[in-house]
Amino acid sequence: MDALKNARWVPVVAVALYVAIPVLCSVYYAVFPGGSFSLGAYSVIAEDASLAAAATRTLSITALTIVTLVVTLVPALVAVHLWAPKLRPILEILCTLPLVVPPIAIAAGVVALLGWGARQGRGSLPNAISQFLQNPDLPLILVGTYVVLCLPFTFRSIDAGLRTIPLKAMVEGSAILGSSTFGTIFRVVIPNIRGSMLFSVFFAVALCFGEYSLAATLSQQTIPVWLDDVSSNNFRASVAIAVLLNLTTWALLFVATLSAGRFSPAGRAVRAEKTLQKKTTQKALAS
Amino acid sequence: MSLPVTQAGAAPAPHTQTGAESGGAETGGATASPAQRPSLFSRARWQGVGSALRSPATLSLLPLGLILLLFFIVPIVGMAIIAITVTTQDGGTGVGMDNFLALNRGSHSAAIVNSVQVSLVGSAIAAVVGTLTSFCIAQIRSEKLDSVVAVFTSVLANDGGAPLAFSFIVTLGNAGVIFGMLNLGATGFSLYSWQGLVVMYQYFLIPTMIMVSLPTFVGLRKEWREANAALGGSASTFWRRVGLPIAAPALLGGWILCFGAAFATHASAAVLIGAGGYPLIPLNIGDLLGQAGDSQQVAMALGVTMVVIAVVTLFAFNRLQSRSARWMR
Repeated sequence: MDALKNARWVPVVAVALYVAIPVLCSVYYAVFPGGSFSLGAYSVIAEDASLAAAATRTLSITALTIVTLVVTLVPALVAVHLWAPKLRPILEILCTLPLVVPPIAIAAGVVALLGWGARQGRGSLPNAISQFLQNPDLPLILVGTYVVLCLPFTFRSIDAGLRTIPLKAMVEGSAILGSSTFGTIFRVVIPNIRGSMLFSVFFAVALCFGEYSLAATLSQQTIPVWLDDVSSNNFRASVAIAVLLNLTTWALLFVATLSAGRFSPAGRAVRAEKTLQKKTTQKALAS
Repeated sequence: MSLPVTQAGAAPAPHTQTGAESGGAETGGATASPAQRPSLFSRARWQGVGSALRSPATLSLLPLGLILLLFFIVPIVGMAIIAITVTTQDGGTGVGMDNFLALNRGSHSAAIVNSVQVSLVGSAIAAVVGTLTSFCIAQIRSEKLDSVVAVFTSVLANDGGAPLAFSFIVTLGNAGVIFGMLNLGATGFSLYSWQGLVVMYQYFLIPTMIMVSLPTFVGLRKEWREANAALGGSASTFWRRVGLPIAAPALLGGWILCFGAAFATHASAAVLIGAGGYPLIPLNIGDLLGQAGDSQQVAMALGVTMVVIAVVTLFAFNRLQSRSARWMR
């Protein structure tokens, strides 16, 4: 019986090893060149100005993506829950579709669109818009597409968050107390969907830090694209930065997943119930 | 055509009869069909539109709608239009399937075969390993393990991209740590082939499969097992007649989801394989987009093919998932 019990752990441990080994190998490769510990590979951070430029670009894209995502998605979902429940299915389908459309296909569409704009001739409006969206200092085209790529996950999270709170009663109550709709959303609704908001923010950051297909296709040098470019002449440096990037995105996704469960009213209810159950069973055992 | 419509519409609302008749008389019946509505340019028709546009619902839905339109709907529709546009012999443009027929030639047909092969093998392995693992996790019955697994799988299912490819190059590449340790060179294994892609894809496919199948195994109720035992069934009877029939749709759905995920993967494959080494649909799209001329149109055709496959995949997954979900309430 004991052998059978231990056998259950075999696949779990095997998968855990499979997940851990590549990470450990890249850490080893990055900081143990030739068998002795050295952080030499990370000197590229100070030496290569293109990395700093790529990092700045990535960070500004990330910041704008988060702001755009929150400013557009939260009001839209509140509106759908409060005033236009009939539009909810349409919005849900539209927000879920980017999940199945591969990023490289979106990239193809975006290239088609930008190319069409560029062909309209110098000085024309589509041409100017196309140039503006692809400005290498701040490629807004990536901000827009990253918001779209975030939507499937963040829509679900915020939608679930809004569904667990008595939204209508909250808005009505705060209107009776003299608050404007905007003030209500800011001071009552958002604090109540804190977990979903945090999930959305961290998920968006992780996505913006890791996305490669769109940035590479549109020739925008974000950090992942920089990694690929540099790997041909300084492989150790790109592995070293990749380790940092990977651990950062993992940490962000961890926080995102935890905050979605931990801060949501549903998650709180589940945990409260669990502690209650524990207490009652302990009492029952003690008596 | 418009005559019966006019009559039917006008009959319950006699006061619009005159308007419809005069409109019909002037323009020969073409504009007579919206008989029950005021004409397009009249004030009455647009009454209320202004206030509806200024309503809080519209105002708050508009920004997201614009983003979706500009960065999702228009690109995808534009891609589809370019894919079905062909240049005719007299220099004009027309609708045709030429760009899709071009997919039969050269490296594209190889790319389609390779993509299907890698995705099928990769998703099948992930389905088997993931099912086995989540079955064992459900048998262990530890809440701590369950929550750790839930967090880890949702993190790893979103993994991929350049860092993943680098970590596998360092581990199993030609100079990789494990590659040298196990002397994999002697077995003929190469990371830069379909075998390598299959092994690398497992990194996010197995967590995806566990994420989908674990709730199913955890959701199998104790009462069903007890009922099975009370009726004299063995463990194998339970799995054969109760457990698997309930879990099968969810497992099949997970496998399809993994297939879709493997099929759509671009970033890690692009970094691992580079250009041209082993054609895959996403890699070919990326290559073609970088070239000028007709190749862009072929890229759009490939893109449309991917979207269609992805939509079919999601549809199948949803149907299968809801079949299993019936029992999990």
